[in-house]
Amino acid sequence: MHHIPLIGPYKPDDILAWEQNGPRTARQFLSDVTRLAELLPDRPTVLNLATSRYEFLVGFAAAILRRQLTLLPQSRAPQTLRRIAGDYPDSYGLTDREETIDGIESVLIQLRGSLAPWPDEIPRVPLNQVVAIAFTSGSTGQPMPNKKTWGALTAVAHATGSRLGIKGGDCAAVVATVPHQHMFGLEASVMLPIMHGLIMHAGRPLFPADIRSALADVTGQRILVTTPLHLHACVTEGVRVPPVALILSATAPLSRALAQEAERHFQAELHEIFGFAEAGSVAERRTIDGDSWRPLDGVRVVQDQTSWMVHAEYLPVPVPVPDRITVDARGMFVVYGRGADQINIAGHRVSLGDLNQKLLEIDGVNDGVFFLPEEGNDLVTRLMAFVVAPGKTSEEIQRALRTHIDPVFLPRPLVCVPSLPRNATGKLPRESVSELARQWFVRQRHGA
Amino acid sequence: MEHSESLLLEQDIAKLIVETLKLKVEPATIQPESALFGDGLGLDSIDALELSLAISQTYGYQLKSSDPEIIVIFSSLRALANAIEKNRTK
Repeated sequence: MHHIPLIGPYKPDDILAWEQNGPRTARQFLSDVTRLAELLPDRPTVLNLATSRYEFLVGFAAAILRRQLTLLPQSRAPQTLRRIAGDYPDSYGLTDREETIDGIESVLIQLRGSLAPWPDEIPRVPLNQVVAIAFTSGSTGQPMPNKKTWGALTAVAHATGSRLGIKGGDCAAVVATVPHQHMFGLEASVMLPIMHGLIMHAGRPLFPADIRSALADVTGQRILVTTPLHLHACVTEGVRVPPVALILSATAPLSRALAQEAERHFQAELHEIFGFAEAGSVAERRTIDGDSWRPLDGVRVVQDQTSWMVHAEYLPVPVPVPDRITVDARGMFVVYGRGADQINIAGHRVSLGDLNQKLLEIDGVNDGVFFLPEEGNDLVTRLMAFVVAPGKTSEEIQRALRTHIDPVFLPRPLVCVPSLPRNATGKLPRESVSELARQWFVRQRHGA
Repeated sequence: MEHSESLLLEQDIAKLIVETLKLKVEPATIQPESALFGDGLGLDSIDALELSLAISQTYGYQLKSSDPEIIVIFSSLRALANAIEKNRTK
């Protein structure tokens, strides 16, 4: 088979999405997609910034039909968007509300029109068509593009569904707290439901009370796609939710204790996905059962000379695993931590080298380094930074950084220092930065 | 609510924000009318989540972002204090 239809087993009047103002059927969806596809400008690449998951999906599908590539930036930081638009100069933006992105021509997604008849055949998409580019952070400060084919996205959706026992035509609805522009969000909250004929909730609930009301919007079996952060908030607040059939978590490691609490609280099985933007979802586990990850069907993790590589038929070349792992004889693996340069804050992965590079690009900054302190008791451990910038205040540097990096990576605090402890070769050993941080914390405790 | 009481509540909430989010500012220096998120204190959605838990534990008020008022509630310390005053259960 060289093509897969745009959507899975829906009948025309099945509900495909749940929007703020009610349900959208499969018939309405195809009608929305066809109309938008006709209106899109003739360009090769599109930045789909829609905030509604449904309007994002309509834009994504319309772009696919027009053979346009959807660019998935790591963040909405203005500088990131401009940099990507600079690398793909013929791009345009797609938005679902009045907003302008500096220097990028934008098209507003407008739905609601007359209903087109159900087509004789659902549009089919070639498996080798590149439909999206997910950007990751390289150590050089340049966003690294990762091409995603329709074959890769659909294969991951089917493998995830079969692992979790989701069948086509199940009367289930997916409610997600994760952004649809991120790889896990695209896979688990968009591709998973539409390949299995499920209902996709268009919202992106944040607070526990929002998660409760989004779950209450939909009927039938409920699948919650979320992160350890949101699970922690729901459990802490003790919010009472409608029955949930399954919870899927990813983006950051989940502790077994929180997994046990969450299973008790939601009365549902909690499964985790291990993956990263370069390869997509790779493996799954039920967190309370143990540390080992079981690769999705069709995925193998194989060692080459230098590192562990993910192999799958839909990946044009094997992809290195960015974390330190060990693999057992059955092909199951355990993750021990991230590679030296990689950090993860609340599910956003970034290269420290990239952040340092962006810091050094700021006017007036002579030297600087980001540092991730040991994890404490907070919901999220934030980065700190030491900066040499005579004549600049830390607020000024923060303000400049804000336009360059995702807010989750903004240092707390940003400490101005006269110099950094570089060694004779100009290198900055991790131990020295760690010592600098330790001394800073000691001074804070003593109220200096 | 008496004027002095609402000022006290604002001060308490400023302290709660600074302590919860470990900000490097004096609670008294947070301007009641200036923005908490974006350009103001530069808070993000993780902060919003942490803050919502602290508000729920301290005042028994569960924030909702689907609430059309949410942008208004989070727009400033004063708006947040007014919302808490109206909805608190403890």
